[in-house]
Amino acid sequence: MAKPDFTTLAFSKMVRNHISYRLLLKREQRKFDDSWKRDPIDNVYVAKYYKWVVYPFSEAVECHRETHHPEVYNKPNANLRVSIELNMQGEKKTRYVDNFSRIAAIPHKFDNGEDRTIIAFSKSAECQKEASEAGAQLSGGVELIKQIQNGQVSLQDFQFIVAHPEILPELVTLRGLMKRRFPNPRAGTLDANLGQVVERFINGVNYSAIKDEHEKDFGIIETFIGTLNMDASQLEENFAALIRDVYSMKPKREGHFISRCLLWSPPSQEKLKVDHNLYLSFIEPNNEMIEEDEEVAEKITL
Amino acid sequence: MWKSLGIILTSPIKSQYTLLSAENLLQQQLRTTYVLKRRSPAQLHKKGNAPKTLRSRHYVYDLVQQTHVERQPDIDVILNTFVEGLGNVGDRVSVRPQFAYNELLLPGLAVYASPENIEKYKDYNSTIEEKRYSSPNALLTVKTMSRIMISVVMNKEMPWTLKPWHVKISFRKSGYIVPEDTITLPEVPITGPDLSIENKEFFVTVTVFNLIHHWSTSVTDRLPYTPFFWREPGEAIIPDQAPILATLPEKPIKIKNIQ
Repeated sequence: MAKPDFTTLAFSKMVRNHISYRLLLKREQRKFDDSWKRDPIDNVYVAKYYKWVVYPFSEAVECHRETHHPEVYNKPNANLRVSIELNMQGEKKTRYVDNFSRIAAIPHKFDNGEDRTIIAFSKSAECQKEASEAGAQLSGGVELIKQIQNGQVSLQDFQFIVAHPEILPELVTLRGLMKRRFPNPRAGTLDANLGQVVERFINGVNYSAIKDEHEKDFGIIETFIGTLNMDASQLEENFAALIRDVYSMKPKREGHFISRCLLWSPPSQEKLKVDHNLYLSFIEPNNEMIEEDEEVAEKITL
Repeated sequence: MWKSLGIILTSPIKSQYTLLSAENLLQQQLRTTYVLKRRSPAQLHKKGNAPKTLRSRHYVYDLVQQTHVERQPDIDVILNTFVEGLGNVGDRVSVRPQFAYNELLLPGLAVYASPENIEKYKDYNSTIEEKRYSSPNALLTVKTMSRIMISVVMNKEMPWTLKPWHVKISFRKSGYIVPEDTITLPEVPITGPDLSIENKEFFVTVTVFNLIHHWSTSVTDRLPYTPFFWREPGEAIIPDQAPILATLPEKPIKIKNIQ
């Protein structure tokens, strides 16, 4: 057997790959699992030896408010950030969900700190008025499409493109310019109610789910859903809306999609676990419902 | 099959030593079982006929199971005394067999949970009068927590008086779940902002059900963070607390190699 040539680039690459392979084997898993840990018995205990405390949402907000109190950190209007960990396993075992970036509509708006530029297309003038009132930078119809084709208006200036289904045939001419940003119902950019759509894009929570490059079935979303001085129930509703939006991207397979949700608020380093399952209603055939129907049927026959 | 475990030796000097002292050999039955599977199946024969001859290929096996490398199932024992992390007197716990034998059965802290023993120790709780801790983990918690010093971060500009919830959040940030009602602050109130009490210590009393233990905590205002603050020698804020603070478990000592 011929000895490997120690000077070639191929060999050094092979060695480097092997070393990085060995390093990757020792890499700590990012997926969270504390099912093997004990349940806490006493009222006072050392947190790391037991399962994570699952706080009700309002209590978690209260905890953060305590640390940000004027007497301690003195930052009562700090952002309330959310870290959602996902299981990115796709329908097949070796396939994974792609990274996605969405805007979730939330019931109670707050200052994003982002300047979102939106261009809205629709045929009727009242629709255009609705869109500009809601906050779209530019809204128009066929004339606007012509302006873009001329070059007077550049699509690059705008982050989001929304449209009414009526104007779709004319909009197809700009498909090449828009490419990925072309309005479609799946992304929520193609809708009859333009005012609502624009409002959602201006005020909504912009989040991206990013997979870990080595641990492909682990994905994470990091966004913020409001500020600590907002009402706890409002924050809870925002959180619920975000969770439902994230869940809409779930692949059709068994098992959970969201592993856990952590609430945190800089400058504090504390991350508090919150139960996301409370906000997800599963559509399952309810046995109780079937029994009720049977009872009703009996009553009718009698 | 009986098997004796002998020490495999290399040098002749050592072999002499073995021949002279018999204690080096372990005369103990090793009940190991190897479950093997033939790679190529042996031919079946009719009843009454002679068995078909086995060829060398029939003596090639694959190992299916080795009983001595498998994990032994946990065994049940009944405790005689309070064992921290496991249970109170009279509790029936399930533990790993080696741990059970070496740490519990041999020192007499527990007995096997055989049917006779279960009957015998059924009313153990009522007969033995011993100091019972609230739970097995309480003592462990107390031991861990009595070593620590945590920093209580307070604001430098806004006026404050130290309350139990300030201490509670400091505990929570450090990884200890301590409810407010279990914390007892010193009688003398600590107010601020007061830079003279910066980095000074005081202790609070935390009640874990029935056990009472003291913790030392140091107050830091929003100034540059001192890494490893618990290693530095500290002053007491309230002079009355100084003697008790001095007796509190020591801060970690650096171990140096003695040459």
